[in-house]
Amino acid sequence: MNNLPVGAPARIVGYQVHNSFTERLRELGLTVGTMITVTRKAPFNGPIELRYGRSHLVLRAEETDMISVECM
Amino acid sequence: MKVQLSLQSRERAKLSERPLVAFVGNPNCGKSTIFNALTGLKQKIGNFPGVTVEPKMGTFTSGSRTLRLIDLPGIYSLAPKTPDEEMTARVLHEGYKGMDRPEAVLFVIEGTNLEKGLFLYSQFARLGIPTIVVVTMIDAVKRSGGVLDDIALEHELGVPVLTLVGHKGIGLDEVREELVRSDNFTLPRTDNLPGDNIEERYTWARKLSAEIARIPEEDTITKKIDAVVLHPVWGPLIFLGVMMLFFQSIFTWATPLMDMIDVVFGFAQSIVESTVPAGLVQNFLSKGVLAGVGSVVVFLPQILILYLFITILEDFGYLARAAFMVDRTMGLFGLQGRSFIPLLGSFACAIPGIMSARIIPSERDRLTTILIAPVMTCSARLPVYVLLITAFVPALQLFGFINLQGVVLFGLYAVAALSGLLIAKLLKSTLFRGSKLPFLMELPPYRFPSMKSVAMTMVNRAKVFMKSAGTIILVFSIVLWALSEFPRADIPAGTPELDAQRIQLEESALGHIGRAVQPVFAPMGFDWKVTIGILGSFAAREVFVSVMGQVYSADVSESDARLRDVLRDVIPLPVALAILAFYVYALQCMSTIAVMKRETGTWKWPAFAFGYMFVLAYVSSLLTYYIAMALG
Repeated sequence: MNNLPVGAPARIVGYQVHNSFTERLRELGLTVGTMITVTRKAPFNGPIELRYGRSHLVLRAEETDMISVECM
Repeated sequence: MKVQLSLQSRERAKLSERPLVAFVGNPNCGKSTIFNALTGLKQKIGNFPGVTVEPKMGTFTSGSRTLRLIDLPGIYSLAPKTPDEEMTARVLHEGYKGMDRPEAVLFVIEGTNLEKGLFLYSQFARLGIPTIVVVTMIDAVKRSGGVLDDIALEHELGVPVLTLVGHKGIGLDEVREELVRSDNFTLPRTDNLPGDNIEERYTWARKLSAEIARIPEEDTITKKIDAVVLHPVWGPLIFLGVMMLFFQSIFTWATPLMDMIDVVFGFAQSIVESTVPAGLVQNFLSKGVLAGVGSVVVFLPQILILYLFITILEDFGYLARAAFMVDRTMGLFGLQGRSFIPLLGSFACAIPGIMSARIIPSERDRLTTILIAPVMTCSARLPVYVLLITAFVPALQLFGFINLQGVVLFGLYAVAALSGLLIAKLLKSTLFRGSKLPFLMELPPYRFPSMKSVAMTMVNRAKVFMKSAGTIILVFSIVLWALSEFPRADIPAGTPELDAQRIQLEESALGHIGRAVQPVFAPMGFDWKVTIGILGSFAAREVFVSVMGQVYSADVSESDARLRDVLRDVIPLPVALAILAFYVYALQCMSTIAVMKRETGTWKWPAFAFGYMFVLAYVSSLLTYYIAMALG
């Protein structure tokens, strides 16, 4: 997921780990199958902004690492 | 009425005379705005030990009917991940810490975020609590070209659905009407709910949302604003601008108000002095009570302005963006983006800084932020700095245009800020170590803040401050007054006023305590007079100046210059520098300690902060003294 370029649409295919954090991500709507786009990356390897539907979520690179995506 | 048409077959719940109705919904869904609109000033902040976000409680009366309302912290799911969510979940399941389980719920869903709201609803509905659903932000749905079929939603959920226009209050009357009709809350339908698994529930929520509403995929207004606000170049510039305005406002805008409060209390003191006969009673009223109350009230302007700023920025949606931008930098010190605002606010006063640390969801990050907030140079240190710097640092011009006194003052600010961040780093790698907490933040759509809601927040925060800090400062300043006025000294008649004050202080209990404690501070050359100043300033740091004035028979209010001259004569330079170093770190502030206790729910953290800051103050003061002595 971290290699996903800004603006490229992708789809969540799974999670590398299952813990309360990834459960929260799913509860926020990042369920397997959801379409996402990386809209922005903060400079110096800072947080990453994702968009899915009308939601915008900010995560750090360490965390987006847990999400497996496939490019469309 | 449409509600009756679509819900004719539904069984109505019979509520009691004064039912407890809870407001439930996602974070940021607008339920606090409805809550504020309905309860007005008839609300108070519930105090639940150990919970950071306190539920607000209030009453709503219409005609002969009164409802007790409670605004629970926003949640995404009933499987709690944080203490705040746990509280909401527990209240809904079985009641919590003396609070009954609510009889009915006003379930708030944001119109532009239907999926998340319905996802939560799919779990909530199984609790079997009579419910009314309110969909907010209908105007935002329409503005972006969408529509919502509330009647279909009503059929699907089996409970009344009301709609509200953003913050303009349109639709609120209907909410009021429906709330007071006792038989209006209905048990949610459960026959069409999905299973308990997250994917299944989201599929249900998305399907239902697509059936009842047409909402464009993208929020173009938010996208346009973000293109500027989060722009690689404009973003940081706007951020700096906002922060400068913020900083400026706490200092500049608050100053005239604070001066005004000083004048009012000075005036009250002079009235007391001219109406009450001279003597202990007059002295107590004027120097004990009025001075004590004054020293509390004087902080209010800064606190109100700080909250005005934070609330507007948060409601507008900027705070989350600012946190996004500074997260990386704060991460270097083990903190996160949201710690930035409380720390910046602490430059005015640690009290609002500590109170605003509630915007940090992670408990460890919040505690770290609270513990380092008092290290930031607050405005109460300024009078002490100014007195000592102008007395001891020559007003030299460096390179012809930089004032040495200014450099020293700036140095004190910089040293404090840097030490605070390093302490944060240390705390996070020792005491608050643990697997790194994941960071997750929603960027809400931009919205115009509701001024009523902003005002309510300010009033509430001011109340909390007056209650928790105010009482302690008042008690402490009365105790301090008693210690400095008793036992009464024998003062020969005809002694000049200023000398009489000095003799009284020297002979008082405070004077004796000062002498007794002085050995502690002897290594850095503090004599008992300086020690009294330090003891006296435990109420508030700026008291140091007036105690110094009293102890050296110099009238502070009339001319600072005199006190400066006296100090320069009696205090050696290394000692003066050691005092400065002490004030950079020492937690000399009862109100900060009181607020810290309130916000952390235990005396453990204020005691810890006091302890570590005292050690830092002591060591740095000692080092400064020896270095200054060695350099001559």
